[in-house]
Amino acid sequence: MFHNSSQGKYWIFLNEDDVEQKRYKANQKSRNKILESGKPGVSESKLLERHEEDVLFRHYEKRMVDFCNAFKPAMPKSVVGTAIMYFKRFYLNNSIMEHHPRIIMLSCAYLSCKVDEFNVSSTQFVGNLLQETPAGQERVLEQILEYELLLIQQLKFHLVVHNPYRPMEGLLIDLKTRYPTLENPESLRKNADDFLTQAAMTDAGLLFPPSQIALTAILNSASRAGLSMESYLIECLRLKEDKDALSKMYDSMRRMKTLLKKYELPKAEEVIACKKKLERIHAEFSSLSNKRKRGYEEDGHVAKEPRLTEEEWTDEDLL
Amino acid sequence: MDDQGCPRCKTTKYRNPSLKLMVNVCGHTLCENCVEMLFVRGSGNCVQCDTPLRKSNFRVQLFEDPTVDKEVEIRKKVLKIYNKRDFDFPSLREYNDYLELLEEIVYNLTNNIDVENTKLQMEQYQRENRDLIQKNKVKLTREQEELEELLLLEQQGNEQRRLELLQDEQRQLQAKRKNKQALLDELEQSQLPATILLAQHKVRAAKLETQIEQQKQAVKPTSLFSTGINMRQTVTLQLPPKIEEVLFQYKALQVETYGPPVPELEQLGRLGYLNHVRAAMPQDTAGGYSSALACHRAIQDAFSGLFPLKR
Repeated sequence: MFHNSSQGKYWIFLNEDDVEQKRYKANQKSRNKILESGKPGVSESKLLERHEEDVLFRHYEKRMVDFCNAFKPAMPKSVVGTAIMYFKRFYLNNSIMEHHPRIIMLSCAYLSCKVDEFNVSSTQFVGNLLQETPAGQERVLEQILEYELLLIQQLKFHLVVHNPYRPMEGLLIDLKTRYPTLENPESLRKNADDFLTQAAMTDAGLLFPPSQIALTAILNSASRAGLSMESYLIECLRLKEDKDALSKMYDSMRRMKTLLKKYELPKAEEVIACKKKLERIHAEFSSLSNKRKRGYEEDGHVAKEPRLTEEEWTDEDLL
Repeated sequence: MDDQGCPRCKTTKYRNPSLKLMVNVCGHTLCENCVEMLFVRGSGNCVQCDTPLRKSNFRVQLFEDPTVDKEVEIRKKVLKIYNKRDFDFPSLREYNDYLELLEEIVYNLTNNIDVENTKLQMEQYQRENRDLIQKNKVKLTREQEELEELLLLEQQGNEQRRLELLQDEQRQLQAKRKNKQALLDELEQSQLPATILLAQHKVRAAKLETQIEQQKQAVKPTSLFSTGINMRQTVTLQLPPKIEEVLFQYKALQVETYGPPVPELEQLGRLGYLNHVRAAMPQDTAGGYSSALACHRAIQDAFSGLFPLKR
């Protein structure tokens, strides 16, 4: 359950500033590393700034969600949610400049299928990359498998992710059972679902427990329909006799709604500019990242084939 | 054993699985027939390594690998000379050093490394510790004799039991025969009609059977327990010390869920939750699933973490 899970202990942060701090630190670390590596042609302007990283992050997150939605067989919502959470957590402590997001996002989706017991064979998985030839798909698969161990390590081996979908179901059941004032809780479902999908793209998962997100979704949907659910909160949930808890709850919900409102998809021109920078960084400093990719290779290990084929496939091949 | 053929006649081993292999001091194998063959012609050389051999040196092979047999022979000879025991040494370290010395000697002799030096070493040791060796030999033989005595006793006991069983069986057979004979005699001589005689005979046979059964079940009184303690002997054992400890008090597990209390699994039906969950189909209930399980899990997930976390 969430209350004694690793998610609750290690991956819930106090506020948005805390999260931003971590990302900033990761960015700084990566910048320093590249600057110190002493390669020719290195200059500050060539490296990604924090807001540029953000643009790329959101872009690739959207691509991953589209990939998962177009997945055959149909991916359950919890698998998609887990994949997004992995993506977020990974880039909390690592910078986009060091590990290119296009492989990380596929590794996240692949790992999420395994963890959530959505059984897809690896060939089936890369078969969903429709733009690639079978040989190209093979290459992608090899890269995914290379990054998998590194991904798990950066997630600190905390692989279980609690998504808000089941709490939402639970709350709906509870509403139907204990709150007859509300005639048709089912009508709230569609809006709540949309709220949750949007919330998954924001940092809400890193700041609030999934049950709170679900509750916010339902309350939001109810207020949209003009229904008040305050009595439910007070009576049925028995939000502790002190008023403090209730106001804190409202506070969190307000913060969550702000997060959702603030979220917007990056503009196309920004994305293209940032991507160009990213590609150049990866091309020039790829030897730095090369060694690190093999999370499991020991020093004496000889690779099966030379890794020259990395830069051949581009983002356009994904969808 | 079949994959190892005799190096001389090659095939005979496969054709004749009962054929034994013999090993000699150089560590090579020969089947029985070939041994005979070799010494009929008077020449005493090993086929593979050409070392001169005597017929008496051949022993039946016990292990699959002939080199192991060779080593075993060498070890026996070495141990006859180096026969110190662990209490002959003042410290464990010295005993281990002695054992290592032993192993080196055996290894050298087995693999034909430095044979002369090793043999010289052995002779020197023999000369120096002659009386010690003699003493230890005597000790060893005494122990072995005791062991053999015990074995002999056991064997004798077994033999006796076997004989007694045989005798019992014979007696029973005789009794049955006598019974039959008596019946025949009676049929001949007595005046009573045949059916009554047959009935009497049957009764007698039945009685005999029960007698035999009883005899089989009669336990012979023994005077010894199986551990060797006499039955009449009182054995006083020391009681183990009694340890008084504080009794364990059970405290139920308390888990902080940061949320409203969740109803128990069994109460869900009564409270009406189950009406809003998809009912379990017969295929599902066969495996032990009930709709209450899914409902309970959803409610737990919904309530866990609802209240603000304490930081």
